[in-house]
Amino acid sequence: MGIIKTFDERADHIKQKSGNDPVPLACNNESLAGAVSQRACVYSGARVVLNPLTDALHLVHGPIGCASYTWDIRGSSTSGPTLYKKSFSTDMKVTDVIFGGEKKLAGAIRELAARYRPPAFFVYSTCIVGVIGDDLKAVCKSASEDLGIPVIPVMSEGFRGNKNEGYKAACNALFELLGTGDYVPTSPFTVNLLGEYNVAGDLWNVLPLFEEMNVEVVASFTGDSRVEEIQRAHKAKLNLVQCSGSMTYLAKKMEEKYGIPYRRVSFFGSGDISSALRTTAEFFGDSEMMARAEEIIARETARIAPDIERHKSRVAGKKAAIYMGGAAKAVSLVRAFGEIGMDVVIIGTQTGSRDDYKNISYIVKEGTVIIDDANPLELKELLVKQGADLLVAGVKERFLAYKLGVAFCDFNHDRTATFEGFDGIVNFAREVDITINSPVWDLPVERVPGVRMRTEVETEIGTEIGTEMGCEHSSVIDAGGESVV
Amino acid sequence: MSENYATVNPCSMCMPMGSVMVFKGIEGCMPIFHGSQGCSTYMRLHLAHHFREPVDIASSALSEKGAVYGGAANLKKGLLNVIQGYGPRAVGVATTCLAETIGDDVAQIVREFQQEEPRAREVAIIPTSTPSYSGSHEEGYNEALKAVVRTLAKRGRPNSRFNLVIGSIISPAEVRHLKSMLDDWGCGYDRIIFPDISETFDAPLAADYPKIPEGGTPLADIEDMANSRETLTVGGSIFGGSAGDYLEREFGVHHTILPLPIGVEQTDRLIGKLEEITGLGLPEKYERDRGRLMDAIVDCHKLVAGVRTAVYGDAEMALGVAKLLCEMGMDPRVIATGSKSPEFVRRGEKMAPGSEVLSGVDFSEIGEAVARNDIELLIGPFTGRQISKAENIPLLRVGLPNHDRFGSSRQMVLGYEGTTRLVDEIANVIVEMNERGG
Repeated sequence: MGIIKTFDERADHIKQKSGNDPVPLACNNESLAGAVSQRACVYSGARVVLNPLTDALHLVHGPIGCASYTWDIRGSSTSGPTLYKKSFSTDMKVTDVIFGGEKKLAGAIRELAARYRPPAFFVYSTCIVGVIGDDLKAVCKSASEDLGIPVIPVMSEGFRGNKNEGYKAACNALFELLGTGDYVPTSPFTVNLLGEYNVAGDLWNVLPLFEEMNVEVVASFTGDSRVEEIQRAHKAKLNLVQCSGSMTYLAKKMEEKYGIPYRRVSFFGSGDISSALRTTAEFFGDSEMMARAEEIIARETARIAPDIERHKSRVAGKKAAIYMGGAAKAVSLVRAFGEIGMDVVIIGTQTGSRDDYKNISYIVKEGTVIIDDANPLELKELLVKQGADLLVAGVKERFLAYKLGVAFCDFNHDRTATFEGFDGIVNFAREVDITINSPVWDLPVERVPGVRMRTEVETEIGTEIGTEMGCEHSSVIDAGGESVV
Repeated sequence: MSENYATVNPCSMCMPMGSVMVFKGIEGCMPIFHGSQGCSTYMRLHLAHHFREPVDIASSALSEKGAVYGGAANLKKGLLNVIQGYGPRAVGVATTCLAETIGDDVAQIVREFQQEEPRAREVAIIPTSTPSYSGSHEEGYNEALKAVVRTLAKRGRPNSRFNLVIGSIISPAEVRHLKSMLDDWGCGYDRIIFPDISETFDAPLAADYPKIPEGGTPLADIEDMANSRETLTVGGSIFGGSAGDYLEREFGVHHTILPLPIGVEQTDRLIGKLEEITGLGLPEKYERDRGRLMDAIVDCHKLVAGVRTAVYGDAEMALGVAKLLCEMGMDPRVIATGSKSPEFVRRGEKMAPGSEVLSGVDFSEIGEAVARNDIELLIGPFTGRQISKAENIPLLRVGLPNHDRFGSSRQMVLGYEGTTRLVDEIANVIVEMNERGG
């Protein structure tokens, strides 16, 4: 008997931590048909990684839907160009499917180049492009020669795997851009931030910290970045990889070709952002920088401590459930919950690997449920069974939590507050606090017949109504009243 | 003129999206897409944003193997898992571009599945062909309406009921309004409303949260649509008439198509038709609502006079709002929809002579028309927000999708009451606009 009732094929994807052994979890395979996976497709994976590049033109070669549903959903902010907020598509029709869409694609690139003059194109292939056999690479190559700008094919046919394949396709596309620009950095200490998408403006909480350490960020992959910055990113001395699921592949490729080492970091949570700063300083081995890092950490930690303590006192001991796209964020969240005194009772991801789950099983407490590629039915049962007070996930899961009376914190594209850096963790703590401690959860979900609220203000009104209606069921009212107050 | 090849900021969605809006209006129905996993996830996301409700849509999760060798095995597995996991009474199967392009015969696969699988025999399975490249979400909606009655409607004993088919996408509150109006009319048991998303996309918070939201048109009612004395499709004058046409052709059920009841005249037309069908006069309460609508229009007529407005979105909704603007003395100078439809253009031009009426356009083209016509007010889905921001023109959000404001499930612009609300909203936006403009 599993932890919850589910499909036979899913049983190995849900385990409970027990003892000190790593939890062996089935993962990274095709989603089960009919199980309502929360995962998206290859195209989606590629799109979320590349889309934050603000001045590139992102053209979707496919029917209109793929472009419609991904139009400006990334939630990443820009300090300048807004081209990435537009949705471009070849809007393939029946005739394109029958006779091929290459001509239309070539025409679209030409048209859009003339109109928007972007420094580069990303051209995404979708399911049917792969099936009808349009030669995306050839069209892009020829367009690139004509226009004199990079026109990069993103091989992201939806059905060719899961989101991980999309990340890879995006990394390959970025790798094509890399190394084509020249640059002389202003600081001897240079880094790239990989897997930093500037959701809600996260990046801008982090950049000043590096600046203070005299570390120059050459390019952020890809939040608020420009094509030009990606092109010269090979000039950096170190890659800091945050979202490891999406970007480790690129980091390895950059290490191989340009000899740039990488370190895994996270900018979320006081502990993690502090480690990220220390890791950077240690890498450069510069004593002044190390001292500066410690100074920043001490100062910032002290600055936010009162806020963190205030929220912590209101949420400590509550139980959190985590369901993320990738494992890196999930792991960072476990530590962040530790900082505000909360326990994690469920942790899951859409695309975690064997190693990710092994790692997760070491850091979570006994009894925590670990789940891969969850679906709404499983999440519903688990949230109830594990007694979660809060779910941290994305929009699709938000309303499920609400229907179950569980507080919710959006950690994905939709949030409007920054969560990274020292200010970010305060925002996060505040959001967790206001949702868990909202009075809405104390309202009776279903009205108790004959009840009237026994608050001071309403006593009078309640009496009046009672009198007016000739209400005589005082015992019922009292009994009901108890349960409300 | 702008692009010939590229679409910039789409004003439409794809066909499978429309099918979901029909399937979710059937009692105990679970939708499944035959295609890659992303389609269902993206459309769930899109609809969850709009309705602020959980939206479950299954997928056959086609992979490379399925794409090469055919997806029958995946679809059968998916159907079985949906039946086991959700215990639905019906399953709506919509194809996607991938399934159609690899040439899967979904109707055949479903037939085989129902023969092979005893657990599936009690479940109504509705195959629908909605290749994304063949049309917009509105056409997908229409296709699914037809697929449902084609699969479920059965000849039986003639009943004395009438079918009210919702021929285009309206909000849960709007369906509720139509239902309660018919209840007040005294013909609550006399009508079949299909599809009915009034509860499924606007579920009350309750102690128990069922796997499939409660509500929707009962299957028995849909089956009985073949035996009704009449079908009335509202909002089916551009797309959406197919279910009624099918019932007329196959079962001889007389079919009338009306536009959405937005504005005085179009609501009068619906009421007149319902009086004819029911043989009863409009309840007094609604006569008074009508009077209030007239009152509201009179109250603001000078304020709104001649305000140059661009109305866009789903065809029926855009035409309905444009019609109201004409009645109010406003100037719907641009009327646009993302689906291609000569009928839309014809109707719009007749309604508002001299206006630019555009079909099959994107927001790049709508934006150009907005600039050309010195537009002062935008009315339509939130997807027009970039034009609103760039041109500094207020946008009154009406219709699907609306991701950045609350209450989409409860938006009500239909009937006398709904139109009155819309009139007040329009007037208030213009007041604010004038205040800001100094």
